[in-house]
Amino acid sequence: MDTTFREVSADPRTASVPLSHLSLEIGHLYMDDFAAGPARLREQFARVKPWADAARAACTAPAGRRPRISTCFLIDDYFTRFSSPAEVVPQLIAEAEACGLTIDYLARESACAETDGCHPARLVESRLVESPPPGTNGSRPPTTATGWLSNGERSPGLDHLLAEAMGGDTGWRPPRETEARRHSVFLDVELWDEQHGRRTWSCPYLAAVWQLLRLGLLRDRGQEVLHPADRPETFPHSWDALPPLVRLNPHADPFAAYRTFSVLASRFLPIEHAVKIVLEQWAPEEPVLAQLAERAGQEGVPLPDDVIARVGYVFHGQP
Amino acid sequence: MRPDKPGEGPAVLLGEVRTGLLQHSVELPLSATDRLLGLRHGERVRSSQRPNVQAHSPDLLTGVDCALATGSHRSVRGVGTVTARAVLTEGRVLQASVRARLAAAEGAQRLPWSHYLARPGTVEVIGRAEAPALADGHLTAGPGATLDLGAIAERMLTGIQGGGGLDRRAPFRSRRIRLRWTAVRADLAGEAPGGRLTVEDDTLRTLRLTLDRIDPAEVTAFCEDLALHDWLLSTLGRLIERSGLGSDPGPGPVLKLRPAVNHLMHLWMPGARVARPLAPLWDGLETRPGFSRQWAAAVQRVRDHLALQAVGLHAQPVRKD
Amino acid sequence: MLVFATSDKGGTGRSVTSANIAYRRALLGDDVCYLDFDFGSPTSAAVFDVPSALRGVDQAGLHSYLRGNVAEPKRVNVWSESDSASLRNRPSGSGQLVLVPGDRGGGEFVTGGDAVRRCTELFLRLEEEFDIILVDLSAGRSYAAEMVLEATSRPELAEVVTRWLVFHRWTRQHIIAASGLVYGDRGIMAAGAARGHDEDTLRDSVRFVRAAVPDPSSPMFTQLRPAQAAWLRACHEDLTRLASQHRLGQTLVLGTVPLDPVLQWQEQLITDDDVLASRVANTETAEAFAALAVALTHDRAWESPL
Ligand SMILES: Nc1ncnc2c1ncn2[C@@H]1O[C@H](COP(=O)(O)OP(=O)(O)O)[C@@H](O)[C@H]1O
Ligand SMILES: [Mg+2]
Repeated sequence: MDTTFREVSADPRTASVPLSHLSLEIGHLYMDDFAAGPARLREQFARVKPWADAARAACTAPAGRRPRISTCFLIDDYFTRFSSPAEVVPQLIAEAEACGLTIDYLARESACAETDGCHPARLVESRLVESPPPGTNGSRPPTTATGWLSNGERSPGLDHLLAEAMGGDTGWRPPRETEARRHSVFLDVELWDEQHGRRTWSCPYLAAVWQLLRLGLLRDRGQEVLHPADRPETFPHSWDALPPLVRLNPHADPFAAYRTFSVLASRFLPIEHAVKIVLEQWAPEEPVLAQLAERAGQEGVPLPDDVIARVGYVFHGQP
Repeated sequence: MRPDKPGEGPAVLLGEVRTGLLQHSVELPLSATDRLLGLRHGERVRSSQRPNVQAHSPDLLTGVDCALATGSHRSVRGVGTVTARAVLTEGRVLQASVRARLAAAEGAQRLPWSHYLARPGTVEVIGRAEAPALADGHLTAGPGATLDLGAIAERMLTGIQGGGGLDRRAPFRSRRIRLRWTAVRADLAGEAPGGRLTVEDDTLRTLRLTLDRIDPAEVTAFCEDLALHDWLLSTLGRLIERSGLGSDPGPGPVLKLRPAVNHLMHLWMPGARVARPLAPLWDGLETRPGFSRQWAAAVQRVRDHLALQAVGLHAQPVRKD
Repeated sequence: MLVFATSDKGGTGRSVTSANIAYRRALLGDDVCYLDFDFGSPTSAAVFDVPSALRGVDQAGLHSYLRGNVAEPKRVNVWSESDSASLRNRPSGSGQLVLVPGDRGGGEFVTGGDAVRRCTELFLRLEEEFDIILVDLSAGRSYAAEMVLEATSRPELAEVVTRWLVFHRWTRQHIIAASGLVYGDRGIMAAGAARGHDEDTLRDSVRFVRAAVPDPSSPMFTQLRPAQAAWLRACHEDLTRLASQHRLGQTLVLGTVPLDPVLQWQEQLITDDDVLASRVANTETAEAFAALAVALTHDRAWESPL
């Protein structure tokens, strides 16, 4: 005879979330774009449309299956507050439709920082594991610069120069990209700053959080982080009253997906370079990673282990 | 090393456990361990209350890219992440436990970092080295440029002991004790399964395990359990030695032994959390050197002394004024 | 308990006296750790007579640790590594006596936030294990002193009892200098307050130790002419007055160590062998060290004089 014993607190479960094959981002909206009027919006959607179609065409589902693809659109309400959902959202929907695009999900950028009781940005921060420069054997703590993340080794700071003053080894050293092929493209990303004790996350950092939300990789104490709300009857007059993630299209495929694809204006290139640096040093939760791998396996969709390989882009020129 | 075959489990596991007394005047209640061991936002502290109260922090990762010792002067390069967690038993004994599984790298170059983050707790070995040599290298490496799991454990302990929430008034002074361990698959080691525990000095022990199959979580839990009991035994021994029991006839020893009675004696529960396939390892250690035998003798000695003192005190003539 | 030994000038007897206090505490049964933070001139290895530390610590000493070159600084077990026969055998009932030496030729420059963090971690780490952690700082307003003031102002060390011993010789110059080191410009009080230390608490944690004080009544001075003896006494009274004017009067003195012939010639620990067997050192010196060792944790000695 065999008995089993289990304590839930010792072995907690990890929730799984519904998944599409592809999460297709068809734009970001900043105040400037909106201020420039509806014609500007239409122009942008018109530019996105052919690339969005291409992304759909490239998204392969297993033979005989319809690919599940959801589209999303992010509005900046974190750095600047402008207008109101009641005015902006219907316009957005209309202009997208006029160009033959459907916005399935609408998200507020501030939701990447904080949504009722949950802090996605902090969840991401707590799982950053910095890429070690060669020679890192664990004996020293990682040389973190608080609030920054880079893709290599920084130039030594003043402290270091002072400390070494007696050791003879002085002088400036250039920064170095750890994965450089001979020559470096060194980038140091500011993740946040603080004023009067209040932390403001940087735009590229929130963009990285946005990618991870779309990839269905974030959990808060094992639970789903951002659950889409149904489209309200009418859109509210303040951004705070709008749910952080709204399903505009009731027939949409799930928000999160195995892979993401973003069609962005080329001015976002530096931001997305920074996103790459964050994502490359972000350690996914093992059970979540395993969950996704298992489901992809069951569906017969190829899914790369590396998180960064699940993220794709098109950058288009401006008018 | 050859690449792992599916279902075979890793070829080599390296680890180090450092064990010390929680720097707090009383046992930390389970409700407070969430804060103490919640080392990562958004992840739960795991706790269980049977057969004793134990809580585990989330696993933290540290990136490494350094030489791995091979026991000879030749070393190979290891790139990847090592896993560290903290374990608190009965709100009293704090351990930092660090481990890495070694796997053969596919190429001769370091890969993009996200590759390693997709394999948490794995260090990929670039270069030719056999599994037993890497295990020996870990056990015998001195301080230097090679992989230093101990330093990661040490920092973790120091971070927790110095973080908020503890009053730092521990009931007695004690040493941290290190257990450096390896597990090698028996077919690669060319040996029958078994273990070899060595007391290297006052504060260092090494353990070399040879196993048919290596389950990293189970092996780590076994090593933590062994480290805990070795620490208990060493610490009680030291308290007895320093109490003057056997040389000081006065009340000194009783006072000095009180913390041991209050804080250590009930913690002895060897093998309670050890997975079945590893249970024979504990049985072996109970035969030689006989952990529980020695513990029982020490405990008996303390109890006898306390009993005698109590008798002695009562036997003293009562002064009448 | 953390004990910081400091002095305004070099050559006051700080290192020798504090090493002897450490030794006496260990004899009393405490686990004692002695840290040589005198980065300019680490001498503790000589006092404890541990040649291994004199030779060996080229890499893993305190400087290397504070710079982050090694994860932990080297420790020397005095009972087993000392060359001195009377230290070699750990007396029964004694506690650990561990020396953490500085690097040879380590220099004075160890600054910056990382060094303070490592210093804090080291104190925390040692406090788990040792009853007394005695830190020999360098003379004057040094980086070492600033670093430990910074470290002890951190919340991590808030619960750890911290005491300061200020050593000085018994001369006008030394008395004025010691007072300046504690109460003067950029002194311990000012530097501590600037780092967020509570001034009253910090002031109450400071005591003075008078080192190498000539005692006119001791046998060393039996040859004095009456006029010389009278002059010495007058001097002593003047100095006593001066000391209390400068806020290092009797209530703030933890102890006084007489001038000793052995120590005048050699920096060393005064063991009971030196006093009883070979009788080269004075009993009074050994007694003074023992009394200091007891006073270090004697509540009465640390009551606020106010
Ligand atoms: N009580 C004493 N009597 C005589 N000489 C002493 C006494 N204490 C210390 N000395 C001597 O004074 C000199 C300076 O002592 P040291 O401890 O090195 O001072 P510091 O550490 O303040 O520079 C040494 O030669 C030492 O032996
Ligand atoms: Mg000195």
